Amino acid sequence: MVLPCLGLLLVFAYWPVVRGAFLSLHGTDLLGNPTRFVGAANYIELVTDPRLRRALVTTAVITALSVLLAVGGALAAALPLRRAARRPRAVVSVLLSLPFAYSAAAASAVFAGLFAPAVGTINELLAGIGVGGPQWLESPVWALLSISVATAWYEFGFSFLVLLAALNQIDQQVIEAAALDGASGLRTAWSVIIPMLRPSLVFLLVTQTISGLQVFTQVQVLTRGGPADATSTVVYELYRRAFGEALPSFGSASALALVLLLAVLVVTGVQFLIVRRSA
Amino acid sequence: MTRARFGSVLRWLWLVAISAVIAFPVYVTVVTALLPQGDVASGRLIPIPTRLTLDNLREALQSAPLAEQYLVSVLVTVLQSGAQLVTAVLAAYAFAFPRWRGRGVVFAVVLATLAIPGESLVIPNFELVTALGLRNTLLGIAVPYLAAGYAVFLLRQAFLDQPRETWEAARMDGCGDLRALLHVVLPMARPQLVTAAMWCALSAWNGYFWPLLITDSPDRRTIQVGLAQLVVEQATTPAVIYAGTLLVLLPTLLLVLLGQRFLLRGLASRVTT
Repeated sequence: MVLPCLGLLLVFAYWPVVRGAFLSLHGTDLLGNPTRFVGAANYIELVTDPRLRRALVTTAVITALSVLLAVGGALAAALPLRRAARRPRAVVSVLLSLPFAYSAAAASAVFAGLFAPAVGTINELLAGIGVGGPQWLESPVWALLSISVATAWYEFGFSFLVLLAALNQIDQQVIEAAALDGASGLRTAWSVIIPMLRPSLVFLLVTQTISGLQVFTQVQVLTRGGPADATSTVVYELYRRAFGEALPSFGSASALALVLLLAVLVVTGVQFLIVRRSA
Repeated sequence: MTRARFGSVLRWLWLVAISAVIAFPVYVTVVTALLPQGDVASGRLIPIPTRLTLDNLREALQSAPLAEQYLVSVLVTVLQSGAQLVTAVLAAYAFAFPRWRGRGVVFAVVLATLAIPGESLVIPNFELVTALGLRNTLLGIAVPYLAAGYAVFLLRQAFLDQPRETWEAARMDGCGDLRALLHVVLPMARPQLVTAAMWCALSAWNGYFWPLLITDSPDRRTIQVGLAQLVVEQATTPAVIYAGTLLVLLPTLLLVLLGQRFLLRGLASRVTT
């Protein structure tokens, strides 16, 4: 009974890892077939090619910014909500969980409209209060920030839902006891509630870091990696090398894929160690 | 004003501000999609109920092959999440009830796929699906994802929480594995089955990278890819793009609003593991 599931996973998850490792050690011909063995050349390229090196850094920046904004923002929203009255709390909870309904493509479509230079909603609002907004997606720094904000917004919904669920499970008596002992609201949040949220926070940091490492859709829709490669990420570079150029380079794209896999495994391993140690 | 009152006012100011920022893109989506195009172009974002219109939605469905793409997305979602559920139910049963040598190892092999990012597998899968002659087809979009480690994990947990005696009694009465699964085990796991189905459907509906790579004719693509293409090519007005976004959003929005209880249950079990 386990065979259909196991078979499918072996063919479509494990075999590709093996095949990808093989491809990454070979060159690629015009049709995308592997040619001669090139050793570590595709991996050395990752370090020496400035565009690839930049993609690694960009991915790290987008990941760090969006994880901080999304998880930090969700925590800053969920904590004060705990002490609100039932009705308004329900309304705010629904509003704050809305981004979770968006797919990466839908979120990108919306932010394309918000960030558009001349007719974009954000710049129109800014013009309304007499501020000239920047060309969000046209300058390297703003584009990087815009992508990070769009990513953070889209990840906020999930983070908020996870924290809300965790907060609802905290024993109210513990919090009341802290209040009776004279702890202020902020102090209770910091020394009682946040430590109790630790498993959820670790879970969020790990899953959102992993999804940050895989950022692709926002980049492809909003900037196509530009301007001047400023927003090209690991997965976008993989896409460009394997599928976006006239001459596909499955070899070097596979090396990128393997680096991505290793990075995700390392993050997962770290989570495993943290959970182990606190258990 | 007492200090507590002051704190409460401050708290609400903060909550209102953050809700406004987070909900703003959603508001823009809905309002732009449902207002006449002239209103939005002239920066009028406060909707007047009498002016609401379905024209943009109609135009979106007629302009690009969005209607065909919608159908492709629905079919892919049904096929992919249906297959994931069936394979996961069978596997979870085998992991939870019968005792057999090596089941721990096999379960670890299945579970480990949760740590493999799908993006790192696309090149070999692209070769494979092309070799199978499934490029640019519905089946080609779904075929690498007919089994999902996450669903197995969730359902196995649900099955393990059931009293083993019930299953043993059913077996004693001469039930085969399949009958025990269908008539004894599954009816007791209905809530978790709903949770698993929702997560499977959500990820199938929202998929982007793989459907983008494996399809190339517009009418064979999923709605997610079609929508993104509309944006990239700038071939249409913002109103039509937002109308398309609203269409993409509709099923998942309903899921988040009505099915939140079930989605959260699926999360809780992942946090604690």
